[in-house]
Amino acid sequence: MKLLVVEDESSLLQSISEYFTQEDFLCEGVLTYKEALNKIEAFDYDCIVLDINLPDGNGLKLLQYLRQYKKEDGVIIISARNSLDDKIAGLDLGADDYITKPFHLSELNARVKALIRRKYAQGANVLELGNLQLDLVSRNVTCGEQKIALTKNEYDLLAYLLNNKNRVVSKQAIAEHIYGDQSDNMPSFDFVYSQIKNLKKKLKEKGCDELVQTVYGLGYKLSL
Amino acid sequence: MSEPLLQKNTRILLIWLAIVLLICSFLFYVVLLLHTHHMQEKQLLLKQQNVWDAFIEKSGNIERHITAEYDIVESAADKTIKLDEPRDTLLHLANRKKTLPFEMLTKNLQWNGRPYHITTYISSTEVSHLIAKVFITEAMILILLLLVIVILNRRSSGLLWKPFFSTMKKIKEYDITRNKPLDLPTETGTTEFNELNNAIADLTSNANTAYYNQKQFVENASHEMQTPLAIIRSKLELLINQPDLTEKAAYMLGDITEANDRLSQMNRTLLLLAKIENNQFPDTEEIKISQILKQTLDNFKRHYDEFPVLIMNIEDNALINANRSLIEILISNLLNNAIIHNQEKGKINITLQSSQLIIENTGLPLVINPEELFERFKKSSYQNKTTGLGLALVKQICQLYHYGLVYEYENGWHRLKVNFS
Repeated sequence: MKLLVVEDESSLLQSISEYFTQEDFLCEGVLTYKEALNKIEAFDYDCIVLDINLPDGNGLKLLQYLRQYKKEDGVIIISARNSLDDKIAGLDLGADDYITKPFHLSELNARVKALIRRKYAQGANVLELGNLQLDLVSRNVTCGEQKIALTKNEYDLLAYLLNNKNRVVSKQAIAEHIYGDQSDNMPSFDFVYSQIKNLKKKLKEKGCDELVQTVYGLGYKLSL
Repeated sequence: MSEPLLQKNTRILLIWLAIVLLICSFLFYVVLLLHTHHMQEKQLLLKQQNVWDAFIEKSGNIERHITAEYDIVESAADKTIKLDEPRDTLLHLANRKKTLPFEMLTKNLQWNGRPYHITTYISSTEVSHLIAKVFITEAMILILLLLVIVILNRRSSGLLWKPFFSTMKKIKEYDITRNKPLDLPTETGTTEFNELNNAIADLTSNANTAYYNQKQFVENASHEMQTPLAIIRSKLELLINQPDLTEKAAYMLGDITEANDRLSQMNRTLLLLAKIENNQFPDTEEIKISQILKQTLDNFKRHYDEFPVLIMNIEDNALINANRSLIEILISNLLNNAIIHNQEKGKINITLQSSQLIIENTGLPLVINPEELFERFKKSSYQNKTTGLGLALVKQICQLYHYGLVYEYENGWHRLKVNFS
């Protein structure tokens, strides 16, 4: 998987690159509009993570360029401006997704993977770890041969953890992923805890409970 | 004590003009009296001269006494009579059977070496009638004058102050949060009001600019903070995935993550506040309040393991025209407020009736002044995990749509009322 990250903040770029390199992406990062244009002209990428506020140009123009030359690279816009206009403009120009700063890397990771699956029908539509399987099309979760019935929130939570498997995902990232903006007003993350508790219980019934690990007070991790 | 300008003006006019007019009337009366006395004296002297001329011509052979006309008396040594000075007297007129006031004048004259007192009379009745008539006429004219002055004054004041009142009306309707310039006419026809309008226009335009800059500052600052927040967040995510993480480090990272999250959340809310202020939610639609209310409640119930006891009384037909996401924010903030600031095993009452939403919750009395409740960053000391912006957001949305927003505390219940009409 080839990924291009266009982000003018070098330390953020470095974080994103590091995260995706660990996810076995071939990750390239550029800091300016010019560099990005050169890269886009020369190579094809599976996904481009694009900051639209660049010092030497607007990221939306890169998007225009891509669509003009019929390049099929998937694009996820990252923007500091959580404005509806930017979002609409970006999606109108053919961006596949839109994410606002500050975002969680695990969320970006989940979205990139979802985009790649959607766009190229690549990678299996089944997320798996050990004998746990989650079918994104039929929304079936199985442990070995046994089907596990999950609520919508539990399913989303499990899919999110599977997308970020072998990684510690913070409670905050989970809360934001499942509840979106509504997580803003939560005074505590107890609801994440109770969702995890329920999920663990259901997994345990089918013998997959060893997979979900709690990492101190930080978050949760799905690994063998 | 203050009263309307017009009333004040009229009152001053009525008091002072009346006093001036009374004094003037008195002076007029005195002068009139002096003049008539002078006139009577002249008439008495003239009559005296005529009678004396006739007396000398006829060598003393004329009637020496005619009642109410004259007396000629060979001068006895009567020294009590005042000479050459008009005096008042009463004469009985036998033919008319009446006693009437007269003015008389006595003079001492010599004829053939003998002194004579000659006294002439003139009636005072006609003169006093004349004085009364003239005085009454004058009084009527003055009263009429007073009335006309007052009426004219009221009329002209109304006309003169018209630009002032129209300016005042516009100032009253002015709302700085809307950031619209105050449109005042620069030419009112009166120099002072032109100046007033210019001064007010300058003042409001400066205030508008300052307000706009401040709003812009909040929005820009919030935007600028997003990137550093994103950097911190991403580094934290990488850090918590380090394989050699110790437990102590993990707890510290947990605290940092939480603090950073609160910062992000605060920042997002500030940005939202700035956006509402900057009117960036122009799209409105018809919204059923009860629907959003129920939806939000369902979500909240799923989030909380121990949801307070809920009593609902919701009418289904309240419709409003507003931006959907803002109303969602409004309602979820109100509900959230009722949950967070509740006590253990607390209760919540929700009433929605004829476009009035009342949310009540049990809880300890406020530590802060209730008037400061809706201000940004005002919160009770024991709730340090909230941003202190939730109710500020509620207030901002209510302000945007001119909804009424009231807080009350009664017998252990906090009550927040939103009037959507």
